[in-house]
Amino acid sequence: MDFFADGLRRGAQLVLGGDAEVFGITWLSLRVAVVATLIACGLGVPLGFVVGTTRFWGRRAALTAFNTLLAFPTVVVGLLIWGLLARRGPLGGLGLLYTWVAIVMAEVVLAVPIAAALTAAAVQGVDSRVRRTALTLGAGTWRAHWAVAREARFALMSGVMVAFGRVLAEVGAAMIVGGNIRYHTRTLTTAVALATSQGDFALAMALGLVLLALALTVNLLLQLFQGHGAA
Amino acid sequence: MGLLSLRDVQHGYGGRRVLAIRELDLERGSVAAVVGPNGSGKSTLLRLLACVEAPAQGTVLLEGQAVRSGADRRRARQRITLVEQRPFLFAGTVRENLRYALSLHGVPGPGAESRLSAALERLGVGGLGDRNARGLSEGEAQKVAIARALALEPDALLLDEPASAADPASTGALYRILDEERSRGAALCFASHQLEEAYRWSDRLLALTDGQASPVTPENLFRTDLPPGSGTKTVRAGPLTLQVYTDKSGPAILALPPGDIVVSAEPLHSSARNEFKGRIRRISEDGRGGVTLAVDAGVDLVVRITHAALAELGLTIGSPVVLSIKTMAVRVF
Repeated sequence: MDFFADGLRRGAQLVLGGDAEVFGITWLSLRVAVVATLIACGLGVPLGFVVGTTRFWGRRAALTAFNTLLAFPTVVVGLLIWGLLARRGPLGGLGLLYTWVAIVMAEVVLAVPIAAALTAAAVQGVDSRVRRTALTLGAGTWRAHWAVAREARFALMSGVMVAFGRVLAEVGAAMIVGGNIRYHTRTLTTAVALATSQGDFALAMALGLVLLALALTVNLLLQLFQGHGAA
Repeated sequence: MGLLSLRDVQHGYGGRRVLAIRELDLERGSVAAVVGPNGSGKSTLLRLLACVEAPAQGTVLLEGQAVRSGADRRRARQRITLVEQRPFLFAGTVRENLRYALSLHGVPGPGAESRLSAALERLGVGGLGDRNARGLSEGEAQKVAIARALALEPDALLLDEPASAADPASTGALYRILDEERSRGAALCFASHQLEEAYRWSDRLLALTDGQASPVTPENLFRTDLPPGSGTKTVRAGPLTLQVYTDKSGPAILALPPGDIVVSAEPLHSSARNEFKGRIRRISEDGRGGVTLAVDAGVDLVVRITHAALAELGLTIGSPVVLSIKTMAVRVF
């Protein structure tokens, strides 16, 4: 138990003392997570919106695919992106393997189904009268879609946050395509894994605390947003 | 050709046809009422007229111009408004709801404020402006939704059961507002399952039965199951036993046209094979120079007779009567 408390204490010291490496790793993780979430939501939210609001042949198959992809093993995604970006792979010439861009690519693949599936669920949950009412009041297709999105905004925001959380906490794919290179592609999660295997429990604990703090912040922001909306 | 028309329209959901209308015209300065039982296609008809949905077959016309593309429908919706039976109010205050609707019509701030206040006042809900729209009672929400539609000053105003959540006093007030809209030159159409309401407040009645314009008014309609074969059949229609003449079998709708029912004080020695005893529950003017009787014969039957017949038979409320109708006069759909 002392060992645990000691790790926690020294971890807190590292964080509060503004350790440059901890700061660098955190910054990289945030950058990867924000960029990957933005791209994934940019693709996944419209996709989910279309699948959730329109009737077309293959719609059920698309929904099933999204839901299956939610459980896609992260190491398999890492492996696929690694295969794409490896020197002998189709995109090998880009020289992106073991860069933060490669991590973003893998995280996008993981987060798009989350954004799409949760968006589809969110807009499917919206009362069908919302779109119709907007239409009867003279809205065009886009304004009617916007009315649906507005009604579903809390659920949509939760979807974005879940995607962000998934990307931030992901370790398998980031390790494979990023390579966990110090000062370059070492994210919070890959660093925790390495520090633990090296026996540096204090560093692992410090990084774990940062991860926890980030997750907490995201949730608090979400709650704040929802609280304002409900008022 | 009316302001808003349907031609040879068919529509359905999931392979099931719910509406087939050959011709319908809504004129400026007139009120049409659509009546029929639940599931008869009233709401679908209103949605097609409102250009919220496109018919699977046939054409919707606005001032004689076919409304075909999505852009056509969008333009049409700037002139037509539908208030649904359980209207939806967006999150926010009542005023914000009306403001949103006006913004969709490109009505800017100051003009919008006076228009929305006037609309709320007309419906008697001026005091609800700053209330959260989601906290309103069903009746209040319905009034606010109608005010939201009126604020848009539409050329065609469609309402699905507009008085379903209203008390009798507000029902009268509501229909008087619709009357004012008619005077303004709008084309109005409302769906109702209240026949009296429909007769009283409309210029024209469209009766729907299983998605089709019914050739008879929708009184005295009964769902039944016809035995196989052709010719004369004896069937149950609600509490009544009827003889009908038809080739049809299976589920069907029987109609006893109110003008084809003979009223007498005693059973008749006649060719009519269907006879029911009952008592007169209500006597009213039918608005077309005749008299409408509501007769309790185990189920309410509506009968239409002349003033002379009423006087000759000396009928009053509570009088026992015998109703007769020929087998051949019972319509089968």
